[in-house]
Amino acid sequence: MGPSGSGKSTLGKAVAGLVPRDVPGEWGGSLRVGGLEVASAEPAEVAARVGILFQDPASQLVMDRAADDVAFGLENRAWPLEAMRRRVPEALGAVGLGGFGRRRGTRLSGGEQQRLALAGVEAPSPAVLVLDEPTANLDPAGADAVFRRIAELRSARRTTIVLVEHRADLAWPLADMILALDERGSPIALEPPARMASRHGRRLAGEGIWLPADWTAPARPADGAPPGSAADGRPIVEVHHARFSYACGVEPAVRDVELEIGAGERVAIVGPNGSGKSTLLRLVGGLLRPSAGSIEVGGADPRRLPAPLLARLVGLVFQDPELGFLGETVAGEIGLGLDQARASAAGELLERLGMPLEAFGERSPYRLSGGEQRRLSVATALARRPRVLLLDEPTFGQDRRGWEALASILDELVEEGTAVLAATHDARFAARVAGRRIQMADGWVVADDGPGADDDPITGTHELLPAAGA
Amino acid sequence: MLTPIELSDAQASSLLGRTSPLVKLALAIAWLVGLAVIGEPGPPLLLAALAVAAGLSIGRVPPGNLARGLAPLVLAATSIALANLLWAGANTDPAATELARLGPFRITREAAEAAGALASRVLAIVAVGAVFAQTTDPTRLVDALVQQARVPERFAYGALAAYQAVPGLAEDLVTLRQARRIRGLRGWHPRLLLGLLVRAIRHADQLALAMDARAFGSGPRTTFRPIRWGWPDLVVGIGGLAVLALALRI
Repeated sequence: MGPSGSGKSTLGKAVAGLVPRDVPGEWGGSLRVGGLEVASAEPAEVAARVGILFQDPASQLVMDRAADDVAFGLENRAWPLEAMRRRVPEALGAVGLGGFGRRRGTRLSGGEQQRLALAGVEAPSPAVLVLDEPTANLDPAGADAVFRRIAELRSARRTTIVLVEHRADLAWPLADMILALDERGSPIALEPPARMASRHGRRLAGEGIWLPADWTAPARPADGAPPGSAADGRPIVEVHHARFSYACGVEPAVRDVELEIGAGERVAIVGPNGSGKSTLLRLVGGLLRPSAGSIEVGGADPRRLPAPLLARLVGLVFQDPELGFLGETVAGEIGLGLDQARASAAGELLERLGMPLEAFGERSPYRLSGGEQRRLSVATALARRPRVLLLDEPTFGQDRRGWEALASILDELVEEGTAVLAATHDARFAARVAGRRIQMADGWVVADDGPGADDDPITGTHELLPAAGA
Repeated sequence: MLTPIELSDAQASSLLGRTSPLVKLALAIAWLVGLAVIGEPGPPLLLAALAVAAGLSIGRVPPGNLARGLAPLVLAATSIALANLLWAGANTDPAATELARLGPFRITREAAEAAGALASRVLAIVAVGAVFAQTTDPTRLVDALVQQARVPERFAYGALAAYQAVPGLAEDLVTLRQARRIRGLRGWHPRLLLGLLVRAIRHADQLALAMDARAFGSGPRTTFRPIRWGWPDLVVGIGGLAVLALALRI
């Protein structure tokens, strides 16, 4: 465990023998796996002992078809053909992908891709398995499936598991030992979970590290947070019968969506991967043209607005922050297109998000940790004080400090009248930040507890969006 | 164009589907070399027709798929031929036989013959290429290159992984443009290509890391999909050469 940017991933990669060989940098000290000094060992010797699963499922699938991908690691270790033919279906079955052998990796959902990648990593039965935030990009159902498999591997007691994870509620019960790092990457303590909580709980919380109780405590809007609903006046976002398909003859990603959002309203869009959340955000942001229906933001069609006007009206944080970066340094990125006053306000914003310009200003946006990249992209969108703020999974990989800073900054924006529309898998964030929740499935809005909807709570919502700790 | 071609089980188990991609590749090259030495428009058209017929019969390519693959290329071939017909040097040669006059254009027999020969050759190249692509699974092509042609594994499987990343990069380009617009900048700018390059390099980096972590290139390797020479290779190879010889004789 450790705050964002504390070097958790780097340590995981080092255990897998990828640092310093594949990740350049300075290396000191000693790291042995199974008696083998990883820094000086042959890559093959390390790979024979350790497997590593990364965060992003798409960038670790090598082969086109599922069975071929699982076999890839076995081929590299020169397994005989007969043994591979036995092992591949077995490994697929173990992660719940039995019968998926001929399927193409690119056609699977994010959760299925990550389980496929796990099957490929565990197929050669490595002695050590490193899992680097394996569920950070997944929806709750996908994350549960991966964690079920991790729990099985743990019970089998044949593999040493090194798990890097923010979800303390899921990770701690599985752990024999916990290593906590501070933000500089130095160890705070190495303890069994029970002792870690009793002896170091306060220090961990102070460092911004998530504790299991943070996830199980019910999240609710902070005291004094604005109610976030403007019933009077014209809505700032109006979506009428909007529909969108990415190509002719393809199933629509968004179907017949009706949605009105008032100034200063906070709305969470929830639903599984592929249910149309990101597409809806891009439609509202004027980045896609609806194939049917109409969309108005501030009384205008966002598609027709010139870019500078659109940027003042709408801010959007993409799910993959790297795709939104336009500057060469953090300072350049945050100041892009802003006047003097706004730029200095943006600097303060970054400071509140734990990334002061003195320390981060000259760094490349691409060289930040995942959590830092996301906070930077949130800050660039917030800096313009747009009237509508669209957020796509703003809390992925955030430590506790970043998460809380984000929530309180959103509170302030909403008070100034900004409408917030956030697509999120983070049930706690939805509960903390949003006054209204929209549930999507297969491109439909299947539930909306906003104004005009029934007063009854949405039935079934809790099954689709399991409470933290479930 | 950018998405990898998907072969149905029927296509994969057809005669052309079971033929080693190397045999098909060698035949395609032989045909293309043969076409280069033919001046007449007849033989290339015959080869094009035979390639399409083979794709549909012994390749079991669905006609719709083949038509979709061919349509843009045929259009391109037609426009090349038309341009060569209208702006050929022969048209201004007073000695050339005039066939017709279309407004400002004088069309001569010599220009028409040259354009016809060119068009038929381009069509044949397009047809052979489309049939090859529609009967060959990319993974199988790379397996054959490694196992039968001894192409270095690191290069071959790296290229395959890169090829499979192309559709993802096309999506990234769309998002990069959207990111510029939402930040108040115009959609197209040379910097976009820089962003895409950064993206491609980082993707390649991550993929290389994932491949290394799975012991790729660490020593001798076995294969999960062995490819062996078989009778389809012999039949298709000899048949293809016979057809070429026939076409060259006409």
